[in-house]
Amino acid sequence: MSISSTTSSIRESGWREQFSRIRYQLWRNPLVLIGLVIVAVWVLVAIFATTFSPYEPLQQNVNNRLLPPGSESHLWGTDELGRDIYSRVLYGGRITIPAGIAVIVIGSIIGTLVGGIAGYAGGLWDELLMRVTELFMAFPTIILAMAVTAALGPDIRNAIIALVVVWWPSYARLVRGLVLEIKNNEYVDAARSAGASGTYILFRTILPNCLAPAIVLMTLDIGNAILTFAGLSFLGLGPEPTSPEWGRMVAIGIDYFDQWWMWLFPGVAIASLVMAFNFIGDGLRDIADPRLR
Amino acid sequence: MSLQVYILRRLLFVIPLLLGITVVSFLIANAVPADPINANLPQNVLNDEEIVGAFREKWGLDKPPVEQYFTYLGNLLRGDMGMSIKTRKPVIDDIRQFLPATIELSTVSIIVGLIMGVSFGVISAVRQNTIIDYIVRVFALVGVSFPVFVLALIGLSILHAQLGWVAGPGRLSFVAKAPPTVTGLFTVDSLLAGQWTTFTDSIAHLVLPSLILGSYVAGIIARITRSSLLEVLRLDYMRTARSKGMRESRVIWRHGLSNAMIPVVTIIGLSYGNLLAGAVLIESIFAWPGIGRYMFRASTSQDFPAIMGVSMLIAFIYVVVNFIVDILYYFLDPRIRVA
Repeated sequence: MSISSTTSSIRESGWREQFSRIRYQLWRNPLVLIGLVIVAVWVLVAIFATTFSPYEPLQQNVNNRLLPPGSESHLWGTDELGRDIYSRVLYGGRITIPAGIAVIVIGSIIGTLVGGIAGYAGGLWDELLMRVTELFMAFPTIILAMAVTAALGPDIRNAIIALVVVWWPSYARLVRGLVLEIKNNEYVDAARSAGASGTYILFRTILPNCLAPAIVLMTLDIGNAILTFAGLSFLGLGPEPTSPEWGRMVAIGIDYFDQWWMWLFPGVAIASLVMAFNFIGDGLRDIADPRLR
Repeated sequence: MSLQVYILRRLLFVIPLLLGITVVSFLIANAVPADPINANLPQNVLNDEEIVGAFREKWGLDKPPVEQYFTYLGNLLRGDMGMSIKTRKPVIDDIRQFLPATIELSTVSIIVGLIMGVSFGVISAVRQNTIIDYIVRVFALVGVSFPVFVLALIGLSILHAQLGWVAGPGRLSFVAKAPPTVTGLFTVDSLLAGQWTTFTDSIAHLVLPSLILGSYVAGIIARITRSSLLEVLRLDYMRTARSKGMRESRVIWRHGLSNAMIPVVTIIGLSYGNLLAGAVLIESIFAWPGIGRYMFRASTSQDFPAIMGVSMLIAFIYVVVNFIVDILYYFLDPRIRVA
């Protein structure tokens, strides 16, 4: 579904006004509110993980291996090395949330630059940049990310780089479409006749007007980025094996299928965070695209 | 536009895309790793000058990059994707062995996903803004939020281990014997060989993984069906159909859905990519001997040539499936024919 066409109605009045309207609508939508609360809780948990967790996430205790949930002093049980699942899940947010945000922010900046230049410069530049963009879109997301991480070597930084590589094209496409629409407006002509340079017009006159739709896409997308990051680390292409990362914990849990607490808690942690972002994104989209309401 | 012209036009678009995929794969395979030799050969032969030399020769690693690419493309056209570090066999042979299982699983899954997605989407649209619509939408949102590998584990633990309603991991039970290979699809092969029990057994083993993979794409299909049908439902010809005295169900199915399906078909093509990616994530959980499990093992053991081979193959399948969808469009949307 194209966000560029559906959100064009938003841009007609000033974006400041639009944001306050969006804010008003958000608070009326209960799912968005639930999403915001869950995200806030996870962010707090991640920040204060040291305070909330009873154990160190890496602390092993072989005598307490594979304890079921509700065991004495281990609320959610322990894993195959006697590490406390509850503490590990709490710490997991420290890896996943920043990773997801980093992917979206860096990806959207690169995509905006590429799409902005393609749309504004037009002609050969447009052709060239957009063909490259399409190429990257020909791969299913996680598959391309897997190849890139495998080539770079598995660790968190490389997983984020790989995800950025697969993430920027959708922003390039969105922003290009918006720039093409905006650049024919009178105020752009006015800026040009006032003697503004191309760079100034692109960055100060055109791109700020692409902000609202790009933010809608970012919110819709962050859940996906987290899901894909979890998938990469599930495949062993993310953080190192011992680290308390949710996807990694689920992967280890496969070998301990009967000890369901080893995979269920981190799995539900991923799902709750992604769901929260999806609730927020879905609400934003409803506001941006009234036809779907 | 005639069908031939239409296909030709789409091909002009697809062929550069396929070539482009090889360029991107080449760049990832040769430009990204610090040392492609290190990445592509097993550790124990790295000191063997002869093997390393032969590898360098074969992939033209001492030549300039452009020449390297054409060597790479030439090898690829001969079906040479390098040797898997883990299985010690050519990657193409491994793929040939594992691909049918994945094709079988993903085809059944896309059918399951379509049935679920379209029905939920229609219910949601027809009952727009009622409690049913709301439940379906929230359900879909929650469904797409679960990582597919977690859904697989939950499904396996409840539906198989606890309730025993569906068969467990694998393509067949231990006692069942694989049918003689014709297509590699156990359902088809067992029917061809007349092995009825093997057929039902393979179906029983398909139920859970295809349900999981299907629901993985059903969410997006439901969403597109709903919004597309909502748009069609308010068009004039719907009112005309109703005022003719046509039954509501017929109005929805005959006039509404058949027109609303066009965007849904596009999504099927796009979902197929998701489905293959999902297969990579869940095949190892279901001990499903397809390219997904192969890829999983490759990535956990840093088997770089295998990872590159499978990713390129999946990108190719993805492009080809979308090409087929474009052709389907021609039959679905009369506007293309008159344009």
